[in-house]
Amino acid sequence: MFYLKTAKSLVIASAVSIVAATSALAFPDKSVEYIIPFGPGGESDISARFQQPYFKDKFGQDLVVSYKPGGGGAVGWAQLNSMASDGHTIMGINLPHIVIQPAEKDVGYTTEDIHTFYMFHYTPDAIVVTADSPYKTLDDLIADAKANPGAVTMAGSGKATANHLAQIRFDKLAGIKTTYVPFKGTGASTTATLGNQVKAQWGYTTVGAAQGDAVRMLAVAMEERHPLFPDVPTFKELGYEMVGGAYRGMAVPKDTPAETVQRLSDMFGEINADEAFRKQMLDGGFALLDVGIDGMDAFMAARKAEYIEAATDAGLLN
Amino acid sequence: MDFEHLANALTLTNLALALFGVVAGTIIGSIPGLSATMAVAVLVPITFSMEPASALILLGAIYTGAIYGGAYSAILLNTPGTPSAIATTFDGYPMAKRGDGDLAVAIACYASVFGGLVGALALLLLAPPLSSVALAFGPVEYLWLSVFGLSLIASLSTGNVLKGLAGGAFGLLLSCVGVAEISADIRLTFGSSTMIGGIEVVGALIGLYCIPVLIDMVATPERHLKVEEGGRAVRFREGAAIAWKSRFNLLRSSIIGTVIGILPGAGGSVAGLVAYSEAKRTARPGQKFGEGEPDGVMATEAANNATVGGGFIPTLVLGIPGTPPDAVILGALLVQGVRTGPTLFEGGGSIVYTFVFGLFIATILMLPTGLLIGRYAYKTIVTIPKTILVPAVGFMTIIGTFAIRNSISDVMIMIVLGTVGWVLSRFGFAASPIVLGLILGPIAEQGFVQAWIIGDATGNLAGMFFGRPISLAIIAFTILSLVYPVIQGRRARRLIKTEAGAND
Amino acid sequence: MTDTSSKSAPKDIGTLLIASLFIGLGLVTLQDVSTYSDTDSVVFPTTVAYALIGCSAMVILASWLRPNPDNGFGGGDWWRRILLVASMIAGCLVMPLAGFLPATAIAFAGGLIAARHEGWDLKSAFVFALSGIFIMAAFYALFRYPLGVPLP
Repeated sequence: MFYLKTAKSLVIASAVSIVAATSALAFPDKSVEYIIPFGPGGESDISARFQQPYFKDKFGQDLVVSYKPGGGGAVGWAQLNSMASDGHTIMGINLPHIVIQPAEKDVGYTTEDIHTFYMFHYTPDAIVVTADSPYKTLDDLIADAKANPGAVTMAGSGKATANHLAQIRFDKLAGIKTTYVPFKGTGASTTATLGNQVKAQWGYTTVGAAQGDAVRMLAVAMEERHPLFPDVPTFKELGYEMVGGAYRGMAVPKDTPAETVQRLSDMFGEINADEAFRKQMLDGGFALLDVGIDGMDAFMAARKAEYIEAATDAGLLN
Repeated sequence: MDFEHLANALTLTNLALALFGVVAGTIIGSIPGLSATMAVAVLVPITFSMEPASALILLGAIYTGAIYGGAYSAILLNTPGTPSAIATTFDGYPMAKRGDGDLAVAIACYASVFGGLVGALALLLLAPPLSSVALAFGPVEYLWLSVFGLSLIASLSTGNVLKGLAGGAFGLLLSCVGVAEISADIRLTFGSSTMIGGIEVVGALIGLYCIPVLIDMVATPERHLKVEEGGRAVRFREGAAIAWKSRFNLLRSSIIGTVIGILPGAGGSVAGLVAYSEAKRTARPGQKFGEGEPDGVMATEAANNATVGGGFIPTLVLGIPGTPPDAVILGALLVQGVRTGPTLFEGGGSIVYTFVFGLFIATILMLPTGLLIGRYAYKTIVTIPKTILVPAVGFMTIIGTFAIRNSISDVMIMIVLGTVGWVLSRFGFAASPIVLGLILGPIAEQGFVQAWIIGDATGNLAGMFFGRPISLAIIAFTILSLVYPVIQGRRARRLIKTEAGAND
Repeated sequence: MTDTSSKSAPKDIGTLLIASLFIGLGLVTLQDVSTYSDTDSVVFPTTVAYALIGCSAMVILASWLRPNPDNGFGGGDWWRRILLVASMIAGCLVMPLAGFLPATAIAFAGGLIAARHEGWDLKSAFVFALSGIFIMAAFYALFRYPLGVPLP
């Protein structure tokens, strides 16, 4: 009896290990589900859609994008770890969201719960004004804000978001006081800016790319100028230490085997390295980022410290 | 705009795509929970390998079909298949109840095609100038627009306005549950993490409208819808006559739909509600809105299909999606490498014009396919035995609600809310005011908060709220639609008084 | 859920009870609002809560003075209604454990039994069970494959 049992478990164990080994080799052996914790049409969706055809091309399996909106992404992230952990389920993640949300309130997950394996791009913060705005340069805006404290209204997407943190940080760096007007998403805040409901917008370089001649960007929060906008200065050039934006990447449920995670990280690294993909992303106004699983801990720690500091300064965290 | 683009749109591939899109869209839209947004999102990957214009035609056809398909379940099951069809239930379901479901489906089709054509015409001829409407609407305008929508509660809840208002306030509170859209607070979840995502509007719609119907259906052995005895002639012609009689209503509703479709913050549900409210305000004597008045169905359906063309205007001209499905389509265009903006219309306009003609063709194709599918849907719902209809519809509500954002808790909320809604409706608190509150709440709140912040910053709060021309016009309309029924009622009472002597 | 005796009672107890619950909800909201950190998220729910309390109070007053005899649950079989809703809720509760199709089968069977007024025999049971399985399978396939919904 005992003998039989051992044999049985041995057989099962070896069968499992064989399955595991082959699945690691053949991964992905079916379509990979890519859950976006927001509604369709936003930056997270669009950048995932950019990845979609390359994934199919390179790895022969479909990358199926689905949406799980709610709570500014919190609903999806709170459920990530209870999902299938065979690597065929991945979820888009966003910074600063996954740092700020759990720091502010109990949203059903913590930043450490999210097992991010690749960060593939960011949308750099940028101050956007309409083409006919009296603000020709960043200094014009600063001068107006100094002369009329609080009267310069700036649209942005939501509160405690990348836009909001950028506004807080820049106000502090420039020694000015502007008024932040939260809108539901970048689309709505861009509409308000184009309609002159506000004087300027805390947006991203993607707004500049989408709106073309209708808008002017006063500065972008990048290390170097964006190739699509060679005439737009960086904040750094103008003397403000501001580099950042909304970062996007992908995460897996935490029980996903390490080798599968490594493989996923390599796969998305390969997509990111594709010249055609890079060009498409840059043309859309995105800025590429290549942080794989190896550099993830250091990257996250640095970002987390930065965001927590900005949010604490702003009184967003109690 | 020459015939070359029309010829481009008329290729066999594009025609086939338009036909497929309209049929698939109509079927998807008729299933509660499957919205136009989802239908479009599912098909986006397929379009990657297509010509941009063909891709647009397919997506546009699906979108327009789905908006129409929403009318079926609204009419036959009292359940708006998409939020755009909410106001279709007001008169469509009473029509079906009394045995006029086939007629309602037919006039909904005529109205949808008409509205779709008006919207597409506006897109073809007036897109660049009309796009400025999208920008003229600021936070305050959205606030007043939502107040205008809420004023519909007063006229909807005939009999008991107080209960309607209480229900509306209840709906507004429900809309606050979860993470606040534009401030980061978590509201009214009472510590439950399943409520963080808030109450999903489409799920709530399914619950509040469909569950009460199911509960009432099982309680008694009577048939779901009244059926006329014996075979009846096809009622397409009768429907056409009714539609012709109401051509002004159709035109007005289509224009309302087009304009509201242009507004990025509003969408098909608001368009349908506003058009319905206007149709009701200008009703001829003897028309009973809310009790199966064909004009009510036509106003909503014309308006919501007009939002398709209207919504494409800011999408293509400004790169700002007019409605949620447009947001998906815009994303697909970006991936295709098509840059939207005024230049799209001027310089390389061929894609746009081919697409607009494709949209025309798709809308026209909706006439035969819509009538055909509608007839089939009606027959199915009428002839299927109640024993299988109830569980089948119940199953559809579960799977449909789940599909919206892949969440079991949404299904749970749908069922509980539906049961509560049934109890409430039994005591005179109707579902529609609650739904209005739920849909318009976020628009009102965001508009108010933004207007307040901007007004406060510029030191001109009063001017912000009451000093802008469009706002004032909307306020005037709101007051008009609130006061008008009172005047009308008084006039009607006087009429009855004078007639009473003669009748007795 | 609410009092069914309202039919015979002179006062419309259902309405009074619902309106009271609404007032309670308004008060709970006002309590909840006090915990928010951002004033922007306070204004709207507070206003709405006061409106809800005000309207509900007036509903109570109006109903007390002039109860509407039409309100009430009316006739019909209670066990059928309860069976329908209970089976749907039960289906939701077991869904994470049992998977989608078995869970919704509970809801489907509940709906079938609740809606069948003509009584059962072997043949009808077989026919309905079969068509039920067919409908569920068809919809499941439609959602799972072409629409790509990740059903559990």
